[in-house]
Amino acid sequence: MVDKHVFGKILVANRGEIAVRVMRSAQELGIKAVAIYEETDKDAFHIMRADEAVCIGPGPRKDYLNIDKIIAAAQQTGAQAIHPGYGFLAENPDFPEACTNAGLVFIGPPPEVIRDLGSKVIARTIVQATGLRVIPATQVLPQGAEGEAAALAFVAEHDYPVMIKAVSGGGGRGIRQINDESSLLNGLKRSRAEALMSFGDDSIYLEKCMLRPRHVEVQILADSYGNVMHLGTRNCSIQRRHQKLIEIAPSGLDPALSREICEAAVRAARAANYLSAGTVEFLVDHQGRYYFLEVNTRLQVEHTVTEVLTGIDIVREQLLIAMGAPISFSQEQVHERGFAIELRINAEDPKNDFLASPGVVEVYRSSAGPGVRLDGAIYQGYKIPPFYDSLIVKLTVYGFTWREAVDRMARALNGFLIIGVKSTIPYFQQIVKEPDFIRMKLDTGYIDDHPQLLDYREQEREVDKLARLIAEINAHERNPHTQ
Amino acid sequence: MSGRITRGMSPTEILGMLRESEGYYLCNNERDVSQSDFKNRLMPMTTVRVAPHREAAGFFSVEVSGGASVHVDLMRKQVNPFERLRIAHKAMPRTLLQTVCRGSSLFGYRHYPENVIRLAVREFARYVDVWRVYDFLNHVPNLAPVFEEVQKAQRLLMPSVCFSTGPEHTDRYYVDKVKEILDVTGPEVIISIKNYAGLGTPKRISQLVESICAAFPGLVLHYHGCNTDGNDIGRMSAAVLAGVKICDVADHGYGAIYGQAPALTLIQALDDYGKKAVGVDIPSLIKCSDLLRQERKIYEPFESPFRGHDPTVAAYKLTGGAVGSAFEQADKGGFLDRMPEILTEMARVQAELGNWWSVTPGSQILWTTAVNNVLYGRYERPSLDLKNLLLGRYGRLPFQRPEAWIWEKVLEYQRYDGKKWPQILAEEGGIQKSPDADLELERRRLEGELDRPATDEELALYLQFPFDALSFFKFQDRYGKVWLLPPEVWFRRGGFKDGQRITFADEYGVPHFIEVISTRREGAHVLTTLLVDHSYQTFSVQVEGAGKAAVAG
Repeated sequence: MVDKHVFGKILVANRGEIAVRVMRSAQELGIKAVAIYEETDKDAFHIMRADEAVCIGPGPRKDYLNIDKIIAAAQQTGAQAIHPGYGFLAENPDFPEACTNAGLVFIGPPPEVIRDLGSKVIARTIVQATGLRVIPATQVLPQGAEGEAAALAFVAEHDYPVMIKAVSGGGGRGIRQINDESSLLNGLKRSRAEALMSFGDDSIYLEKCMLRPRHVEVQILADSYGNVMHLGTRNCSIQRRHQKLIEIAPSGLDPALSREICEAAVRAARAANYLSAGTVEFLVDHQGRYYFLEVNTRLQVEHTVTEVLTGIDIVREQLLIAMGAPISFSQEQVHERGFAIELRINAEDPKNDFLASPGVVEVYRSSAGPGVRLDGAIYQGYKIPPFYDSLIVKLTVYGFTWREAVDRMARALNGFLIIGVKSTIPYFQQIVKEPDFIRMKLDTGYIDDHPQLLDYREQEREVDKLARLIAEINAHERNPHTQ
Repeated sequence: MSGRITRGMSPTEILGMLRESEGYYLCNNERDVSQSDFKNRLMPMTTVRVAPHREAAGFFSVEVSGGASVHVDLMRKQVNPFERLRIAHKAMPRTLLQTVCRGSSLFGYRHYPENVIRLAVREFARYVDVWRVYDFLNHVPNLAPVFEEVQKAQRLLMPSVCFSTGPEHTDRYYVDKVKEILDVTGPEVIISIKNYAGLGTPKRISQLVESICAAFPGLVLHYHGCNTDGNDIGRMSAAVLAGVKICDVADHGYGAIYGQAPALTLIQALDDYGKKAVGVDIPSLIKCSDLLRQERKIYEPFESPFRGHDPTVAAYKLTGGAVGSAFEQADKGGFLDRMPEILTEMARVQAELGNWWSVTPGSQILWTTAVNNVLYGRYERPSLDLKNLLLGRYGRLPFQRPEAWIWEKVLEYQRYDGKKWPQILAEEGGIQKSPDADLELERRRLEGELDRPATDEELALYLQFPFDALSFFKFQDRYGKVWLLPPEVWFRRGGFKDGQRITFADEYGVPHFIEVISTRREGAHVLTTLLVDHSYQTFSVQVEGAGKAAVAG
């Protein structure tokens, strides 16, 4: 028996662009959206887009992670459900559990699913039962000498390189590549310490490292009626230090292989009793062999490429599923047409190791035009705080062909005007004109293989340079450069 | 109009038309006008504004580059000298662009290594159609590499013979000099008479032209003069009537200056003799000056304060381009009251040192020597350049040698090795050809300073003016193409009022505006809020301390 709900109001337990994204779909369904914010985030864009807003504490960051405060905010505003977005509490199984206990609907998978799939070891066991190939890996390594011995035995069988991974890790954190024995033993200690610090859990395991694989993922939707569907593949191979930089849909795999991977992903989701939106991730080697990597039990940053390509609003489906409705379409109705590319324009300085560049966005003029989708998080005059992620806007473009999508991305990037903070735009402008990218020759070694992408000069508009000079002439009451 | 010479014609075609022409042609020497009387400050935007009328006026050429302008572009106007040429090219697509080059000194003040000379000429020759090339000692070997590169680039070569007056400056000397040049270049050139100070009477110029024409039938002659004494119309008229085919002139809107004499005055004078300015459209010529009279107000602060023609130039013989700056230097140096003495001393020094040509870099040597002689005693403080001149580093002195006491004063000055001047001269004298520069090393050095790749054009500028070119490149990286701004903004005095709007088009024709919204002071900083193409931006400029402006924003 499926519980049915009608939401009049939901609380979005997140900030920035994803909060705005969720609110948009909710508001389209006639559902009011409640924003939460910390004092240190009181100027954030998502607050302005909400129907109601609740300050949940002084911040920074800790209040967005405080389950009790968020539940209280939902109760205080009369929200019937909570959408977690991505990051913060999105993959913390305690959160949906607390929601349920408080009589609130959690818009996402049930806690036990998050818990099972959040444990990489349990997740591997579940998917292996469906016949999926997994990357050779150890069980959770015991502490101390016993763990070291198990690790050494694993490399004796599978050879280097291997990866040390945190059981509770995600988003690229808690991962370390090991190429020899001396760094293995040292790496085990360091990874444990980092995992403990980052995730509160020092459990780690070893996994065989694949060289230059493609990172392919499948978007999944599952409802309470046993329907599990895929919305096609995405290629997320362009990564920097295991963090995705650019995502593409579809993945560009051979259609038969792509179909096989999608069906495997559906089987895995079904085996895990999945509900709501999620992503099954794979590594694909150059022989076309694919290996299960992990399941992300949440909405992904890059869900927009799938939405653009299929025309399906994934957040809307999440909301409907959470209200007890079945998925609104059949698998046969899902069509991928053309290509979509998404990238994250962050307030970062790529030349300075992508260091965050917080500050006031003095001028912000966004791009626009055919095939351009923006999921923004800022406005002109906004002071990007140093406490949160540095996303300015997520840019997604669509093209009927790959080349059209690339050309459109180049054009869309050129259409931005951002003054006051450094951004990743110049770096992306390098990528979209790089021959391997244009040929869609992409694997996880792409960024390391193309260090020249950093050899760019930041372009400043001529008019802005001249404005600087006029300000000097004005201040000095003469031109200081004429002598 | 028929007979007009336009860009795209080959040097052979141009020379053919000039030889066949019954009339004469005009070169608008904006560059020398700017250098002579406006401290070289005329901005490219003024050239752009007047360009449609200049293009329609039908000049043989417009001289927009060369001489000191290249250095001053970099130093005081923050304009790329190549950009200046590109701008002029675009604004006057049919008109030939002309330059004046100082031979082995290119656009600078010292002899450069041969590979630097060749590189620079190659780069400039991409835009410059007509090359006036001179050496202040008329030492032809100093000109040879430039000649070669100009001809290789298939540009029109105009070797110059510097002209002066005095018993040594005979027709025979100049005819021989022309022959020496033609032996190097071949006949397909225009020979220019470079009367840099506007010396000699019309009669003298007429004789000179007739002598050269008689010696070299079919040779095309150009006359470049200055109007310091107010009589260059007379000299130009005489020159044309004697056979000169091209004269350097100015717009009458820039009249009464020490640069060139007005075009229209020359046209009117020669009309009586049945000589016509070929291709010239007089209404357009007048429009140029109507516009420039307005434009001239912008440059008023830079106009020479020493106005009015000066016939005494016949004695001190300083090039027109240097007279105004000489007075200015005297004013700044606090010895303006001694100028009559200095000019008399110049004439004396000129004669003592051999009566060669007082044009860059010789004019600077004579000027410095005269000033030092007056201020510190005769030849008591000789400059290094004077010493190099006497050592023959620029080439052999063409006429008589100075007296022994001058050699002694100059060559033995600050020598502590006890050597006497004849020994010094014997051991150290003569042209010392600089070895070729390591161009790739210099390029790497420049790129290291700029933290970006350097173009060949940038390298060509850097090799001539290492410090000033580098400062300019950094300036341009930061401030962009400032020539796009109206000159009245670039030379603005007194800041801007709130609400004042500055409009300009970029080089692609896209209009922009910058409006001053507010100005407020906070301690040592001035905060200026501007509306830049509809977006507000605030700039903070530190104004404490001269030349220490630091901008954030």
